[in-house]
Formats: sequence, C-alpha cells, structure tokens
Amino acid sequence: MQLTNVTKSFGPTIAVDDVSLSVAPGEILGLIGENGAGKTTLMRIIAGEIEPDRGTIDVGGTIGFVHQHFMLVNEFTIAENLALVGAGDARFENSNRLVRDLSVGEKAAVELMKAIAKEPDLLILDEPTSVLTPNEAQKLFDTARDLASRGKSVILISHKVREVLSIATRTVVMRRGRIVREGGGAEQLARAMVGERTHVAPPLRRRTTPAESRLYVRNLSVGTGEIVAVIGVAGNGQAELATMLRDTLPRETTAHIPEDRTRDGVIAEMSIAENLALVTNASAEELIATFGIRATGPRQRAGNLSGGNQQKLVLGRELTRSPAIIIAAEPTRGLDIESTAFVHEQLRAAAARGAAILLITSDLDEAFTLADGIHVIFRGTLSERLTPAEAGTRAGQLMAGVR
Amino acid sequence: MRQIAAGALAAIAAVVLLALSGIAFGHAPGELLSTLISGSIGSSFALHGTIVKSIPLLLTGLSVAIAFRAGVWNIGAEGQFIVGGLACFLAARFGLISSLLASMIAGAAWALIASLLRFWRNAPEVLTTIILNFVGFHLLGYSVNGPLQEARAQYPQTDAVAISLSTSGEVVIALSICIASWFLLYRTKEGLRLRATGFNPFAARWAGVHVNAQIARAMAISGGMAGLAGGIELLGVTHRLFERFAAGYGYSGIAVALLGQLHPLATLLSAVFFGALTTGAGELQRASNISASVATFGQAVVILTLIGLSSRAKRGIP
Repeated sequence: MQLTNVTKSFGPTIAVDDVSLSVAPGEILGLIGENGAGKTTLMRIIAGEIEPDRGTIDVGGTIGFVHQHFMLVNEFTIAENLALVGAGDARFENSNRLVRDLSVGEKAAVELMKAIAKEPDLLILDEPTSVLTPNEAQKLFDTARDLASRGKSVILISHKVREVLSIATRTVVMRRGRIVREGGGAEQLARAMVGERTHVAPPLRRRTTPAESRLYVRNLSVGTGEIVAVIGVAGNGQAELATMLRDTLPRETTAHIPEDRTRDGVIAEMSIAENLALVTNASAEELIATFGIRATGPRQRAGNLSGGNQQKLVLGRELTRSPAIIIAAEPTRGLDIESTAFVHEQLRAAAARGAAILLITSDLDEAFTLADGIHVIFRGTLSERLTPAEAGTRAGQLMAGVR
Repeated sequence: MRQIAAGALAAIAAVVLLALSGIAFGHAPGELLSTLISGSIGSSFALHGTIVKSIPLLLTGLSVAIAFRAGVWNIGAEGQFIVGGLACFLAARFGLISSLLASMIAGAAWALIASLLRFWRNAPEVLTTIILNFVGFHLLGYSVNGPLQEARAQYPQTDAVAISLSTSGEVVIALSICIASWFLLYRTKEGLRLRATGFNPFAARWAGVHVNAQIARAMAISGGMAGLAGGIELLGVTHRLFERFAAGYGYSGIAVALLGQLHPLATLLSAVFFGALTTGAGELQRASNISASVATFGQAVVILTLIGLSSRAKRGIP
C-alpha cells in the first residue's frame, strides 16, 4: 500500500495535509496521534470511503477495516451479521445472540471477524482497544501478529503510545493532519503527538474521610469532596447504573457525563451554544475558552467537532453549573493524553469545591489515579468499597467474578 | 443556505414539470404556465382565492413542522383539522373566541391520543395518526348524516354557523400563529428542548429533557394548530360542515412543511406557493379542462425533489 501527497479538507479544516505513507507486507504499522489529528480520515481514504482532494493511493490488494464505531446491525444475530459479509461464525460460542445484547468486547470481536473473514491483504484497526479489557486486547494483538506473520499488512491506530510500541514494527505520529515523526521511544512519540506544549498532571491530594453522603445506592455512598470509582469489565451493569442515577437524582444539582458521547452527549445538529443552553445559561464563548474547545465559535455545529472536543463540550456544560453530584461515565474514553489530563484536573477541581463524584470507568489507571474509594461491578452487583491499595490487589479477581 | 436552495429548486421543479405535463394533454407549456399564474395571482379575485387556500395550508404546515421538529411523525393533521371543525361548530353559539379555542383544544386532544398510545403501547405515531384520520373522517360523516344534519335534512351537511370570520381576520390569526411558532422554536427554552428531542432524544434525555412530556407537548401544540385550521376554515370559508370538509388540507400540510424545511417563516412562503398552485390549478381545469388534481401532482414532485436532494446531501457528508 502506497499513499503519495494525499490531502483532504472538510470545509475550512484540513484533515489530512500532504501525507505520504507506505506499508510493506508483513509489517504492523502503528499510527498514533491526538483526537482530530486526521488518523481516521487518512484510513478512510485508504479504504476508499472518502475521496482525497489531491494525491494518489495505490492499494495492492484487499482491505479489512475495523471501525472505531461499530458497524453492526443491532437487530441481527452474530451469525447474521457475519453472513452479511460472507463470514463464518465458528469462533463464537452462541452465535444466535442478537448483537444488541452483546458487550462491547464481544461486538469488537464480531467486527474483527467480519474484517478478517475475506483474508484481507491490509487490516486497519481504528482505536480497537479503547473498549477492550487487557485480555481481549491481547487476543486482538495475537490476531494481528498472526496476520503479519503470513505476509499481510496491519495498520493500528491508537493514541496509547505504549500499546502501539508493544506490537508495531514501525510507528508514525500524526499531528494536525501531517505525519510529524517516525520511530523513536515512548517519550519522543508522546511529545510529537502533543506538539510543543507539554502537560504535567498536578500532584494528587487525597481526602480519606468521607463526610455526609450525597449519593447512596445500597452499598454505594459518595461523600462531599470525594471521588468514588466503579470499575469493571464493560457490560456488567455500568450503563444501567448511570441510567438509573440519571432517572432518580435531581437534574438541577447533578451533572451527568454520559458514556456514549456521540449518541448521548451532544446533539450533533445543534450549535455549541444551543447544546450549552439546554442545561445552563452560561456563556458559550467563555466555555470554549475555559475548556479549550477547538471550534470556530459558539455557532459551530457540535457534530463538526472532533470526539475530544465534543467531550470537552459535555464536560464544560455539566461542570460550569458547579453541581453537587457528578456522575462521570468513561469521561476520558478515546481522549488523547492532554485532554485526559485536562478532564482529570477538572474532576479534581470539582471535588475540591465539594462535589461528590461517582466515576464509572473501565480505565483502571484512571480509577487508581483519581479515586478515594473503589467499587468493582460484576454482573450488576457492586463489591464492598475498597481503598485504592486494596483494589490494586483484589480488583482483577473481583472483575472476573472471583470472590 | 443549501436548505433554501433545495426548497427553491423543488418549487421550480414542480412548476416546470407541471407545465411540461401539459404537453400530454395537447397544450403548450407556456400557455399552461400563464394560466397557472393568472389564475392564482393575476387578478384580485384570483389573489383572494390564493390567500384563502394558503391560510389552512399555513396552519397545517406549521402543525406538521412543529411535530416533525420534535421528531414525531404526525401525519394526522387531516383528522385534527376535522375534529377542530366539529368542535368549532358545536361551540359556535358561545362566540368567536370560544369556538376557535374549542377547535384548538379538540385538535390537541385528538393528537394526544396518538401520544398516549405511544407511551402505553409504544405504538408509532406515523400509524396511529393516520388511523385517527380515518376515525375523524367517519365521525364527521356520521355527524353530518345524523345528529348534526341540517334542519331540512336534504343534504349530508350541517346548517350554516351563525358567526363568521373575515378573510383579514383569518390572515391576522394565521400570521400571528406563524410568528409565534418561530418564536417558540428559536427563541424559547421550550423550543430548544423540543428541537433537541427531535434531533437526538437520547442526548436530550441526558441533558435533562423529559422526552416523553416534551413529545406530548409538541403533539398538543401541533394538533392544536391543525384543529384551529379546521375552525378557521369553518368560520371563514365553508360556514358548514360536510363530508369533504377537510379537503386534504391536513395531508397537503406535510408537503408545505417539507418545502418550508420545517422552518415557520419559510413555511409561510411554502404555504402561499401551494395555495397559489391549488388556486391556479382550479383555473387550469376551467380554462384547459385539465383536472385540478394536478396540484397534488405538484406536491408530489416537491416532496420527491426534496428527498432526492437531501439523500444526496447526506451521502456527501463524511
């Protein structure tokens, strides 16, 4: 596969800027970059989903593409989804289940099966691990290595530098539509991703005495100024917990950061200002400035923002009201390093102002970094409250359902 | 900008295709076009006809636009128009204001039946509102053949109502409702939430909008407008109820709303366009013996053109 001087703009935004790139047979190319750097657009150009404005593409074979957002028919079973692309269902235990009922990890497995069914010469994986457990991610990587060993090419898109380094035979960094670096160690790559600005997370302050409870769900309580995390493998009741809290807590004093930001977070057809006005009377200009949303102005459609900036919009909208309770579900999923640090900073600041924060996350590092107490959720049941230290030793077992 | 262009293009396409279709009847396209224009805006008589036709189209168009904006497929303006007319007739002896209010309340209540069926049984509005149209139609048919039939009992129609509404009164009410709709949609929190619900009910729910209540309110407003259209038509134009009282205004409202891109002010232009088309088509029938139902053909062309344009636009979006 060979790309030469490919450029693509959407309106005034240059998504891909004069990029040349090649992948050889047997190679696993890691492509890293922040949200909105142009990685997905570049891959969609390779896959023929988007026509570039300029440049040539030479693909010497077939392509399999695992999209960041699942392209499955929810009302079909696993077998039916696979049959749509002519793939078999031998790898699945019970392929008569509806895709709607699957966990994200299982959906990802179905997507992968669809992509590799036709033995493509090039497999593109777009942020595949953000929704997977470490175990599932490992399986995915084994599949990628297996393909490469048989002379196929793989492109892995990610913003997790270490993960990419662990599997890729070659790594390139994209930033603002250009390829800015090839090869190097983790630190150099991360620096190239974020550009000249470097961001250091402030040291942690720990509050260990839970004061009066603002949130109590059976064995779950969150004190004023506390961050309590609920961790677990996706699909064990996290979404139901967040939905239940949404439907029971008073909206006036509660902030919600929903897990699925494209469906539940923003209204794509509405402007930034309108999305904000749904919840608060705060000024959109101020929000854009305070939360560093990359936008042309308050009247820009929210749907034209990159994923990270949509998340900042939701976060900003919810936090500017100084809520007493914050329910944050996967607040940093799919975000780059800098945005993640920013979100964490905002959550800590809110806790310091006295908010009770419930953090529902599948990112264990996030839970250990932020939380004063941790619950593990497994099949809809919360474990007792653990200190971060206890969780460090017991979380793995509890997440797998071992008591 | 693109939406305005799409609307204008659809309207032009409708007129051009109408004119060309005249060839099939052995008429020169230019001749047909001039008949259409002179028959709709060429004289004060024609202009009056266009205005009178435009008013119910504007109100049913706004009705459909508000519901569609909230994401509800209210195809029931026809039935709401009918029950609005019925309620207006029954309340006519209490005066003008009361009878128009009654028509709004009846239309709103009729539309809310569909919302209740949605909440209780998850029945899609696109089906229930159509079925309610049939119920409304036959309710009217029964009424004018039975309890509400004229004293002479000669024709299936009611006696004339004692009160009436002047054309200028109709215009004032319709324009006020049009501006009020725009204000509601684009200048109030209620309108913001209504549109948010229509665009993405999931995100609206997470943003704290009570989606079901929002949908029900939108349906009530939508039905109220269609009901009012029926009341105004009774007091201002027909003065009596008869089986074909609604004359398809409710269904035409869908084309009006779509051509108006669901925007209240553009819906005004769209309603006048269709009003002129209908009136012009009537003249066409008299002058050239081409059925006035070509106006319906024009509506179909508009809807199909808009659908063609919008799906093309969607494919272009990455």
